[in-house]
Amino acid sequence: MAIFQHGSVSIDVDEDGFMQEPDKWNEEVAKALATTEGVDDMTEDHWKLVNYLRDYYLKYGIAPMIRKLCKETGFSLKKVYELFPSGPAKGACKVAGLSKPTGCV
Amino acid sequence: MNEKAVEHQETRETIIPVRKYPYYIEKPPKENRVGRFLEAFAAVLKYSDYKPLLDSYCTSNTKCNRCAVACPVFLATGDPRDIPCYRTNLILDIYKRYFTIGGAIKARLTNGFELTEEIIDDMLDGFYRCTACRRCTRECPLGVDHGLITRLARYVLSLIGIVPKALQVSVREQLEGTTHNTSKVPKEALINTLEFLSEELEDLLGVKMTFPVDRPGREYVFFCAVSDYLLEPETLMGNAAVLYAAGDWDKWTVGTHNYDGINYGLFYSDWHLENIIKQLVAEVTRLKGEKILIGECGHASRSAHDFVPVFAGKEAYPVTNFMEYTLKCIQEGRIKLDRDIVTKRVTYHDPCNIARSGWIVQQPREILKAFVNDFVEMKPSGQDNYCCGGGGGLVSIDEIHEFRMSVAGKIKAEQLRQTGAEICIAPCANCKKQLKELVEYYKIPCTVMGLHDLILKAIHIPGGKSPQERKEEAALMEM
Repeated sequence: MAIFQHGSVSIDVDEDGFMQEPDKWNEEVAKALATTEGVDDMTEDHWKLVNYLRDYYLKYGIAPMIRKLCKETGFSLKKVYELFPSGPAKGACKVAGLSKPTGCV
Repeated sequence: MNEKAVEHQETRETIIPVRKYPYYIEKPPKENRVGRFLEAFAAVLKYSDYKPLLDSYCTSNTKCNRCAVACPVFLATGDPRDIPCYRTNLILDIYKRYFTIGGAIKARLTNGFELTEEIIDDMLDGFYRCTACRRCTRECPLGVDHGLITRLARYVLSLIGIVPKALQVSVREQLEGTTHNTSKVPKEALINTLEFLSEELEDLLGVKMTFPVDRPGREYVFFCAVSDYLLEPETLMGNAAVLYAAGDWDKWTVGTHNYDGINYGLFYSDWHLENIIKQLVAEVTRLKGEKILIGECGHASRSAHDFVPVFAGKEAYPVTNFMEYTLKCIQEGRIKLDRDIVTKRVTYHDPCNIARSGWIVQQPREILKAFVNDFVEMKPSGQDNYCCGGGGGLVSIDEIHEFRMSVAGKIKAEQLRQTGAEICIAPCANCKKQLKELVEYYKIPCTVMGLHDLILKAIHIPGGKSPQERKEEAALMEM
């Protein structure tokens, strides 16, 4: 395990920079994690995506099916990649404080 | 470097193991790896049937290297350490030296082979450069199954703590976690996803189908790679459409205690392989089902098909791959596919785990011939196909992405490009993920999808919208 520090944020992360303790997530943490994904400015669209993922995660314990994510946020998959270049699972989910996807994902 | 950066650096140094491993390992063994490896190997030999097999391989293995030309990894690198026989001989040399009397005497007299830390390094790297595709096995004149040796070597390595973290955490969740599946999909999320798919199907096909969950006494209990519930809506919707159109909607169910067909035990551990199989059949028993229906996943199909009969005893239910089921429905005239829907050129990628043995080679081709007009084969294909480059669990290991792209998947990418196909069918969760990454990496203008994704476009649904209507609607959506 490593410690990720950015500004006043200090959190435990895994080898790929995913949060180890998702309970410690807050907006400051999201902004800090976003910098590791090449997103220095979290726009309204970024927040819309991240908040949707966060809410779904708190309710169901995992990220939604990608198709559902696109449908409910109104963003195409292309748009999701524009917002988070490493994609929904590795980029957006990381910023939303989810742990690294496992299995064949 | 500022103070914080220095501190960060120091923390990193304490966590990164002294030895550099090619993939993440949870708790890398620090000392006496040689002694521990031999101890673990002895235990595996004691409690398994590998000994007679290794005895036989020791006498038959001629190191003729014919396997070299079959291996996509060796063909890409030209590195002698990537020759299947070279890897297999690492294990056979250790076996002969430490577990046979002749080998032990010979070593004493001739100052011969000794297992070293360097050989451990060679193995932990080499056996995870092998995608366990077993193409070399068909080339070997003496029938040495190098893929099996890869599994044995990985098994022994895993017992001393050397196993990619990506595989280990997934298997741990599957056997010991609360969700019992490799992607940690909780039951509530599964149900929410099935409801979502049901709404999507209603929009698309114009008929309501509510997914059967925990229905007892059904003919089929369905297991896909659980990742399909996150990534592959169209494959699952295609599966559902076939079951519905064939009139079998009340003959299948998804179970909520176990809905993951993935079995990474097949890649690195016989012990886990057995326990995951037992968990799978326990769900069928709980639901009083009759058969195991595996979705589009190569290794899930092979592990169930080959090992349910081995490990399940009285619970050895018949195993059907979904493509076998779909072909049967076509042959019996229970489903109809429209010939005028798919106009693009289509090719088919054979997942090694179902094609190498010859089990599932013709079925998908017969299905495709029923509704695809421009079908083209990769060369070679079928039983002699090349691996996608992500087999043997490699696709789950993100940190070796570059190896999977530039080395293991190199030949496959070239084969795919040469077909000129706009659609590549890959009926396997592993292959799909790898091939989608490959077409992006090599910039090949081709869409990778499952077989049932394509079937979903062309299938006639009784009482629903026609395929032609759906095609027009989809075209409007794209405008």
